[in-house]
Amino acid sequence: MEALSSLLTGFETALTPMNLLWALVGVTLGTLVGVLPGIGPALTVALLLPVTAKLPPVSAFIMFAGIYYGGMFGGSTTSILLNTPGESSSIITALEGNRMARKGRAAAALATAAIGSFVAGTIGTILLTFAAPAIANVAVQIPPSAKFALILLAFVTISATFGSSPLRGLISLFFGLAIGLVGTDLQSGQARFTLGVPELLDGIDFVTVVIGLFAVGETLYVASRLRKGGANVIKLAGNARMNREDWRRSWKPWLRGTALGFPFGAVPAGGAEIPTFLSYTLERKLSKHPEEFGKGAIEGVAGPEAANNASAAGVLVPLLTLGLPTSATAAMLLAAFQGYGLQPGPLLFVTNSDLVWGLIASLYIGNVMLLALNLPLAPVWARLLLIPRPFLYAAILVFSTVGVYSLNNSVFDLYLLALFGLIGYGMRRFDFPVTPAIIGVILGPAAESQFRTAVQASSGDFTVFLRQPLSAFLLVAVLAALVVPQLFKARARRLAAQGAGTDETKRA
Amino acid sequence: MTDPSVAPTHRPRPSVPDLLVALGVLLLGGLLLAGTLQIPFGINAVVGPRAFPLIVSAGTLLLGLALLVSALQGHRAEPAVEEDTDPTQPADLRPAALILGGFLLGAALLQPLGFVLGTALMYASVGYAYGERRLPLLIGVALTVALLTYVVFTRGLGLSLPPGLLNGVL
Repeated sequence: MEALSSLLTGFETALTPMNLLWALVGVTLGTLVGVLPGIGPALTVALLLPVTAKLPPVSAFIMFAGIYYGGMFGGSTTSILLNTPGESSSIITALEGNRMARKGRAAAALATAAIGSFVAGTIGTILLTFAAPAIANVAVQIPPSAKFALILLAFVTISATFGSSPLRGLISLFFGLAIGLVGTDLQSGQARFTLGVPELLDGIDFVTVVIGLFAVGETLYVASRLRKGGANVIKLAGNARMNREDWRRSWKPWLRGTALGFPFGAVPAGGAEIPTFLSYTLERKLSKHPEEFGKGAIEGVAGPEAANNASAAGVLVPLLTLGLPTSATAAMLLAAFQGYGLQPGPLLFVTNSDLVWGLIASLYIGNVMLLALNLPLAPVWARLLLIPRPFLYAAILVFSTVGVYSLNNSVFDLYLLALFGLIGYGMRRFDFPVTPAIIGVILGPAAESQFRTAVQASSGDFTVFLRQPLSAFLLVAVLAALVVPQLFKARARRLAAQGAGTDETKRA
Repeated sequence: MTDPSVAPTHRPRPSVPDLLVALGVLLLGGLLLAGTLQIPFGINAVVGPRAFPLIVSAGTLLLGLALLVSALQGHRAEPAVEEDTDPTQPADLRPAALILGGFLLGAALLQPLGFVLGTALMYASVGYAYGERRLPLLIGVALTVALLTYVVFTRGLGLSLPPGLLNGVL
C-alpha cells in the first residue's frame, strides 16, 4: 500500500490553507471560464497560465487540477441550458440534457450531470492513484524506440478521433509538427525555419499557438457567422436537484459511464468523444424507457457525463506516467509542467513525488469543492450565459493578449497571435480539428528527440523500431488506431442519429 | 432508404475554396521541403537536424496530395458549428476583418500608447464587430476592462505590461 501512504503525504501538501485556497480559486475560475461559450478546458488552462506565473509549482499544479476538473463541470451547464456543446464530448449532453431542460427539468439535468461528474471524477481519481505508480514503475524501462512508437500512437489516435476525417486530423497534426520544428535544434544547435528572424530562434511558444488557434480563431469565426437575436438560454429556477426517481435512474448509468470513460482516457485512445457515444448507446439499450431517448432521458445525461469526466481522470494516467498527453487540455498541462522545468514521466514520481501526490490529492479535494459549488450555485453559473456576446468575446480577446504578451514581453508574439488566429479561422471554416495541431506542437520535439536517440543508439539502423518487441507491437497498434475508431465512431453516430431521427418522425 | 429524386446522380463539382486549401497545404509542404534542404547536415550525428524535418515535409506533401484528390472528387468541408454561430446564415467577413484590423492596430500602439489604450482599442473593435452600437457604453466598458486587467496583472500578479502614456500615473 505504498500508493496510500504517498497519497496521505499528498493530502498533507494539498490540505495546507494556502493550497486549499489555490484549489478553490482553480475550481471557481475553471467553472467560470468553462461555462462561458467559446472557451473549452484547454483554452481555460492556457488563458490562466499568466495567473500562475509567480506561484510555486505545487500551488500552481493544485490550481491547474482545479481548473481542469472545473472546466469539465462548467461545460455541461452550457450544453444543457444553451444546447450548444463546446466540445465533441459534450454533444450527447447537449442532445439529451437540453431536451430535458426544455421540458422544465433543467434542475434535474444539471444535478445528474454534476453528481455524475463527481462520482466519475472520484472513482477515476482513485483508479489513477493506484494505476499511476504501477505504470510509472514499468515505464522507466521503456527504450527510446518504444517511446517514439508510443508518441506516434498518441499522434495517430488523436488525429483519427478528433474531427470529421483522419485525413484532416493528420494535416492538422503535421501543421503542428511543422510549427514545432521552428527554432534552434537542441541536439545540434542548428537554427531551423527561422527565416532570419531573431525572435524565432527560441521557437514559437505553444501558448501563442493555443490561444491563437482556439481563442482568436474562435472570435474571428463566430464574428463572421454570428447568430442573430442572441442566445436561447433556458431559465433555471432554483438549485440543481433530483428527486428519488431521478436518483434511481441515474446511479447505474454513472457507474457504467465511469467504467467506459476511464480506460478510454487512460490508454491513449483519443479523448472523451468515443466513450460518451458508447455510454449513450449502452444506456439506450439497457433502459426500460428507450422511447424517452432523444426526448430528454435522464440516463442519456447521467451516463455520458460520467464517461466524459472519468476519461478526464484517465487522461492523467499517461500524462503523469509517460509524459504523453492524449487531449488538448492534457497537452496544456504538460506544457505547464515544462514551463516549470519539469518533465512528466516515470521519473517525476521519484524526483518530484510531493508535487505529483499533492496534485493527485487535490483532484479529490477539487471534486468535492466542485460538487459544493455546482449544486447550490447552478443559477449563478447560468447567469453567465446571459453576458452579451460583444462584451464577452471582446474580453476573451483582451485576456488572450495579456497571456501572450506577458510570455516574453514582445509585440512580435502578438503579430504571431494574429497569424495563428487567422489560421484558426481557416481551420474552423474548412473543418480541420484544432487539437491535433496543438498536440503536434507540444509533442513534436519530444518525438524527434526520441527518434534520433533511438536511431543513434542502434548506430543508424532504422529497423530498430521493428526489431524492438514493444515498439513493433506499438506500431501495429498505430495501424489499428487508424482503422478501429472510425468503425466505432460510424456505429455510435448512426445510433445517435437514429435516436434523434425517430424523435423527429414522431413529432412530425 | 434514399429518395431517388433527391439522390445526387453525379458527383458534385469541386469547390474552388476547397481546392485552394488543398493547394495551400501542398504549398506549405513545398516550402517546408525547401527550408529543410537549407539545414546543414549535422556533424558527428547519425541522424542530423535534417532527418525529422524531411519526414514532416514529405508527410505534408503527401497529405496535401490526398486532400487535393478528395477536393477534386467533390468533397467539401463543412464549416464548424460553434456555440454562438448560426450555420444557416451566409458568412460575413467584414466583422472578422474589423477585429483583425483593430487587433493589429492595438498591438502596434501597445508600446507607444501603453497597454491600457492598446487593449481598449482591441476590446472596442471586437465589441463593435459583434454588433454593439452604444458607443459611449462600449468605450467606457473597454477602458474599464483594460484598466482593471492592467492593475490586476501588474499589481496583483507582478507581470510587467507597458504603461505607455500612463507611465507615472498608475
